[in-house]
Amino acid sequence: MEGMLQFAKGPLFIGTFMFMILGLARLVILQVMQIREAMNRLNDRHFDVSSALRQLAEWAVPVKHVHYRPFLSVVSFLFHIGLIITPVFLFGHIALLRSAAGLGWAALPGAVADALTLLTIVCGLILMGARIFETDAAALSEPQDYLLLLLLMTPFATGFMALHPWANPLSYNAVLLIHILSGEAIFVLIPLTKLSHCVLFPFDRVSSDIFWKLPPGAGEAVARELHGNEARI
Amino acid sequence: MSVATESAAPARFYHVEKPDASERVERFLAAFEAILRHTNYRGLLDMYARSHTRCGRCAKTCQVYQATGDPRDIPCYRTSMIINIYKRYFTMGGWVKGFLSGDGYLTDSDIDEMMEGFYRCTACRRCSLECPMGIDHALVTHLGRYILSEMRLPPKALQVSVRAQLEGENGNTSSVPLAALKNNLEFLSEEIKDEKGIEVEFPLDKENVEYAFFCPVSDYLMEAETLMGNALVLHACGEGGNWTIGSKNYDAINYGLFYNDWILERNIRRLVEEVRRLGARTILIGECGHASRAAKQFIPAFAGKDAPAVVNCVEFAWRKFKEGKLRFDPGAIKEKVTYHDPCNIARSGWIVDQPRELLKAMAKDYVEMTPSGRENYCCGGGGGTVSIAEMQKFRMEVIGKTKAEQLKATGAEIVVAPCANCKKQLREVIDHYKLPMEVKGLHDLMFRAIQL
Repeated sequence: MEGMLQFAKGPLFIGTFMFMILGLARLVILQVMQIREAMNRLNDRHFDVSSALRQLAEWAVPVKHVHYRPFLSVVSFLFHIGLIITPVFLFGHIALLRSAAGLGWAALPGAVADALTLLTIVCGLILMGARIFETDAAALSEPQDYLLLLLLMTPFATGFMALHPWANPLSYNAVLLIHILSGEAIFVLIPLTKLSHCVLFPFDRVSSDIFWKLPPGAGEAVARELHGNEARI
Repeated sequence: MSVATESAAPARFYHVEKPDASERVERFLAAFEAILRHTNYRGLLDMYARSHTRCGRCAKTCQVYQATGDPRDIPCYRTSMIINIYKRYFTMGGWVKGFLSGDGYLTDSDIDEMMEGFYRCTACRRCSLECPMGIDHALVTHLGRYILSEMRLPPKALQVSVRAQLEGENGNTSSVPLAALKNNLEFLSEEIKDEKGIEVEFPLDKENVEYAFFCPVSDYLMEAETLMGNALVLHACGEGGNWTIGSKNYDAINYGLFYNDWILERNIRRLVEEVRRLGARTILIGECGHASRAAKQFIPAFAGKDAPAVVNCVEFAWRKFKEGKLRFDPGAIKEKVTYHDPCNIARSGWIVDQPRELLKAMAKDYVEMTPSGRENYCCGGGGGTVSIAEMQKFRMEVIGKTKAEQLKATGAEIVVAPCANCKKQLREVIDHYKLPMEVKGLHDLMFRAIQL
């Protein structure tokens, strides 16, 4: 167990973390290249940057956009906050980083971190409930939507259990191992699944506008290819 | 007409294995492949495929889904459908996944579902306001319709209109001959003279003017008051001699927006060609939502840098009003008035406040409907559905119901809709639900209220 823990904390952590960083970098580069490729085909390259930035800001703090589903919007927002803030500002994580790389920053007080952890789990469960019981989301959901949500909550639950022995029926090491491995599984899956929206979310909003500007001559080329020069309606 | 798949260069990973496919499935994939090769949709689908999270928020905004409760009407459902086909047949990852699971083939019944589902969407783009990722489901639905159109599968009514416009002898969607147009214009001039006592001309083929005017050709058959309003506004603000209708193209309708990119571009090119023939500088679009949006958005896309400017007639009247060149009798409209925002001009925030300012200047009793502005409900006949006779029942009893309730709640006697498509649908809705109100164009009211 000790050996596995050491492996999971050391080489596996570095490997999966690098996989995530490189994977996300690849996606960002691909997005930029695809937008450029699309732009090159266009006549009309006018693009309203300020409107795109304003929309991005509006959606980053979705105060303006909660009215259709107020409860779930707030839950989802809190869930995202918890997902990002908790692991990055957790005292234990920062201490580990400091001992390994000499890097560090201010940590959240323990009670706040605990509260955020529980909040994230509760919000995750509510979102899961919505996926299962709300017909709209249920109709759209695919297996990975449920599995990814469960996986995202796993390091939060096990992290809480590891720090609070009263909540932990298993051995400390076992819980810690699950905690680390599930976190690393998330690292691997981020660039491979829809979780990549953590870095890709600005691109769709921008690209929807660009992709609506259709390239001249493309429609005719399609018609000629499919129906020859005699193409008619 | 046969689909020339053999002559086409193979797309990436296309038909890696022979799917369990009917001829229709093959044609679908061949059309999809050709579109991916020549257009920008591949990039779009890649981006959407990476980040769409299937959160279901769009479902809450979709008027069609809220009315039918059928999950297949959820915008994201249609998008997922196209994305899944794309991934399955045109990406390596999707192919591997399909190969391993032996699943995910496109079937004949999927195509049936798309033929139904993609044309039930009214292309109102309300869902675009609500996607946290910024995915524009209407663009993917547009692509879905594009693929089906290359298989000759769009609803007959759309095919007939598009063919009449681009390949018919009269060159417009309603096959109105030029002689009939000329008669109509004379009649309209006489009507204005009868009602207002002044000579107002409807110039035809007048060269080197500022504005070339295009309205949906159906206005010449059905919306006399709107057209009289258009001409009177131009006359009243001193532009009466500075505009013209073109005899080679007098139809603003561009069903390409709901059909495919080829039709869209051909219509835009015809529009620009006519403006250049006339030597006009600005395209003035009449009361028509989709034609305004199509011209505004796609003239720069297809006609290059020196493309003519595009102005919608409501926007035009508002500018002249702000310049003080257009004045209204403040109490001229005594009835209680409400305003319906046509999706194609309001959803983007382009024309929202302007018509309200104009209405408040002439109507005593103005009331908003809820929701309104950018978030307004579609009339229920958008996306070409209003011209599909087979959909009349669906338009009335399903999508139109929401609109009827919204209209009823305002208690208005006049609902103003500056869009030929909305006017037709709203009239049918009002008739169907026996609402005590009538539909008018904004220019119909301006015609009544204008100070000469």
